[in-house]
Amino acid sequence: MTALRPRGAALEGTDSTVLVRQPGPQELHPRRTRGRRRALELTLAIGIPVALVGLYQLATSQRWIDPRLYPTLDEMGRNTRDLWNSGQLWDAIYISCKRALIGFLFGAGGGAIVGYLMGASRLLRAALEPTLSMLYTVPKLALLPVFLTIFGFGERAIYVLIAVTVFFFVWISTMAAVMSVAVGYREAASTFGAGRWQMFRHVLLPGALPQVFVGLRIAASVSILVLVGVEFVIGSSGLGYLINQGRNLLLLGQAYVCIVIVAVIGYLFMALVRLIGRLLMPWAPEDNAIGPQ
Amino acid sequence: MLVSTEDRNTAGATSSQALDGRAPHAPVAAASSKVSIRGVHRRFAGKRGADVHAFGPVDLEIGNGEFLCLIGPSGCGKSTLLRAIAGLVAPSEGSIEIAVDAARQPIAMVFQDYGIYPWKTVEANVRFGLQLAGVSRQEIGRRVHKWLELLRIEDFAKAYPHTLSGGMRQRVAIARALAVEPQILLMDEPFAALDAQLREILQDELLALWQADRRTVVFVTHSLEEAIILGDRVAVMSSRPGQIVEVVDVPFERPRTGALRNRPEFGQLRGQLWQLLQSEIEPTRTSGQGE
Repeated sequence: MTALRPRGAALEGTDSTVLVRQPGPQELHPRRTRGRRRALELTLAIGIPVALVGLYQLATSQRWIDPRLYPTLDEMGRNTRDLWNSGQLWDAIYISCKRALIGFLFGAGGGAIVGYLMGASRLLRAALEPTLSMLYTVPKLALLPVFLTIFGFGERAIYVLIAVTVFFFVWISTMAAVMSVAVGYREAASTFGAGRWQMFRHVLLPGALPQVFVGLRIAASVSILVLVGVEFVIGSSGLGYLINQGRNLLLLGQAYVCIVIVAVIGYLFMALVRLIGRLLMPWAPEDNAIGPQ
Repeated sequence: MLVSTEDRNTAGATSSQALDGRAPHAPVAAASSKVSIRGVHRRFAGKRGADVHAFGPVDLEIGNGEFLCLIGPSGCGKSTLLRAIAGLVAPSEGSIEIAVDAARQPIAMVFQDYGIYPWKTVEANVRFGLQLAGVSRQEIGRRVHKWLELLRIEDFAKAYPHTLSGGMRQRVAIARALAVEPQILLMDEPFAALDAQLREILQDELLALWQADRRTVVFVTHSLEEAIILGDRVAVMSSRPGQIVEVVDVPFERPRTGALRNRPEFGQLRGQLWQLLQSEIEPTRTSGQGE
């Protein structure tokens, strides 16, 4: 109140200026402006990666960078065609996606369950938090030999490694999300006599969901990171293996193409998680539904 | 609201003993007590082991079907007292006895904010308490419809709260609380976040709703006008640790309407309450402002 007074006084003094407030284009043509803004956003979203690729092409064709180390787009295209025709590329994409998805589903499921339980129970938190926090900081790739001896050199060790990594990311964000559900929401349910299950079903589960989905999206990209790392080390298949092989055999085109494919898969994976989040949370205002992007 | 004669007798007997001459202002309550608050204190563990004495001792009888308003300076513990009645916090000392009919929902509460769930539609919010109470599907449908209609929010049944204005949201909260048809309705500054006009409108609406079925209400407010318009009695609490300094009967006949605000007696009563409060606020004026 008091802060407004000096400002008002200043306005009275300078009586020559007239502030005009009138509708802008957004108010006069709301649909058209919105359409234009969407078009602009889409153009930028697609244009920037395309421009980066174009810059790369320019750099290689103009010999700004050594084409033996940085193959031209032509060469990469040829490599891709060969890989595709031999069926290697599709196999690699398929098996890598399968590994990431299976690992993610188990890890995220486990992380969400443990996170919800620990978020809801102080006792469980006291019992498990120190141990889990310590394990959280251990690089899971360092545990690979252990997993290999337990689960053998097959697919299972890869699933487990991805699942364990994802678990920790989802666990920690879910637990924090449940704990931060406003006390007021819990109390409102208490006054209606909510039991433990009802509290979970009506309050904690939906109340924590937006934050949980932020964690899930991070975990989705982490699952791809770990996947490629594992495939570097042990795989005889998958995109990580192809990248590594490309480097070793100096098929650099192959390596770069696979890196780009990994990036696209990672993007699509995160977008999928986000879409599921949107569908599950129609109540969340769209802009801050599940964070940026 | 009906109450069994047996209930009425026992409650009446205990209340007159418990009061032990402390409050001569309880003619309504003495008839049939719904809530008996006796020697209740509440302390919170403060920093470095020092306890904060929120309120107490409080002795208060709230009659069946009575609309009791609770006013007092900020931080006097009136909200805590309400939460103690709701069972959200336990008394540190003393006891609160609530005479309830086991077959019906005992209590519902309306909060200043955070009451209704953003992840539920208006309809689902109103359904919530009924679902928890295990009411049959058919009955849920009927009651949700009834209360949405009574609070004039039926057009927004499928909307999510973030699309609604503050007044609408608070209507949803009231509908949700009343839909379970609680024996006692607790309201913790339900209109405090609303602007003055909307506040008066909702007061009038609540008045009309309450006069139609007369359930027991305990209403915490900062606003003296609100307390006078709505209440049968107004309990004035002292600054912390809060105690009931006076319970004032509001003499206006029922049914009341908002027109009451313009009567001269209204102003007189307001002045009387203000004086009671002022003597409580004065000593802490320098420190306790801003809230």
